[in-house]
Amino acid sequence: MTICSTAFVTLGRAQASALGRPDLPIAVIAHPFGLRTREEVRGIAEQCVDDIARLVAGNKP
Amino acid sequence: MNESAPDSARFEAPDDFDAINRLYRERRWSDGLPVVPPTVERVERMLRHTRRSREEVVARVAPAFGAATVERIAINAVLAGCDPEALPVLIAATEAVVEPQFNLQGIQATTNPVAVWVIVNGPAAQKQGVNATFNCLGQGAWANATIGRALRLVLQNIGGALPGEMDRATQGQPGKFTFCCAENEAANPWEPLHVERGYARGASTVTVVGAEGTMNMNTHTKDAGELLRAFAETMMHPPSNDYCHGGEPWLALGPEHAEILQRAGLSKAEVKRHLWEGSKMPARRMTGKDLLRVQDSRGAELGKIGPDTLLPVSHRPEDIHFIVAGGPGTHSTYIPSFGNTRAVTREITA
Repeated sequence: MTICSTAFVTLGRAQASALGRPDLPIAVIAHPFGLRTREEVRGIAEQCVDDIARLVAGNKP
Repeated sequence: MNESAPDSARFEAPDDFDAINRLYRERRWSDGLPVVPPTVERVERMLRHTRRSREEVVARVAPAFGAATVERIAINAVLAGCDPEALPVLIAATEAVVEPQFNLQGIQATTNPVAVWVIVNGPAAQKQGVNATFNCLGQGAWANATIGRALRLVLQNIGGALPGEMDRATQGQPGKFTFCCAENEAANPWEPLHVERGYARGASTVTVVGAEGTMNMNTHTKDAGELLRAFAETMMHPPSNDYCHGGEPWLALGPEHAEILQRAGLSKAEVKRHLWEGSKMPARRMTGKDLLRVQDSRGAELGKIGPDTLLPVSHRPEDIHFIVAGGPGTHSTYIPSFGNTRAVTREITA
């Protein structure tokens, strides 16, 4: 699996297909985060943890 | 690459310029400018200028890793309006961009505006009419305009880097339409680029550069020291991928500026050393966030990096490159790089 921000999902999915893995699980987080504080980024990561765990376990979110 | 791929798809289309361009526009197979319809006849005419088989896969082009067969390269060359004789230049350029050190994946998919600058050296430059003199980075020469454009179409149509999709450029730059010139070897007081890079003087080569843009440097000084200082201070640019990662910046020296440096007795290596030393930039000129990035990126190279650290633009002086290009006048151009890229040179063969 991989983690991708919303702005790069199109690229991520296209790239996965091009490399022969169209079903690659991708956990998506909100973009942008360049302007966010470290605490806000930590909050985004915590929100994403459940998605990541589900994808690693093989279930789609 | 010994792989082969199936023939390109053939479409029946009305023999009508507007209808064919409508089709290309709808399917996003153009760069936004009208294209020359790639009829079977035109593609066949192009293919007569290579000894390679049409099915041969020259490269797999990131990020979609489409197969750049000789025929598909020829189709894109027709679309761009290339003379048929230009096909071997494009084949060599396609081979060059997929070399790992060029980092095509990064260049194609980044938010950075990076374009691919194509430099032609050797007899092919004159034979193909690639302009190396007046306005060589501007409009007006068929070969410059169409070869650069054709490579962009290869990158977009075969590599899959469509703006907003896999090409994630925030703004891009005009050089993404076309960015091609020859070196003005006749006005170069040193060895030309391809000789510096290990090729015979009589060889023809194409060099590809991941170029962030162009910055003109107009100075009337006749003093080599002042000239180098003006260039080095132009290179100092805090929000720069070169300083962030240790890159490979380029200059296109106008012949008059090149002559000043050569008359001062400076070799190419000495010019590079002066530029490298003179362009060291205090890290404090970067923003706080960018200082963190440079600490991550260049810590292993430079050790502890603080606000007082003098950052070199590249790892080594020899990573700064220049060609001599253009006509009379007191202008040279600084061409910063994408940073995480190294230029690649390939010989042009039929």
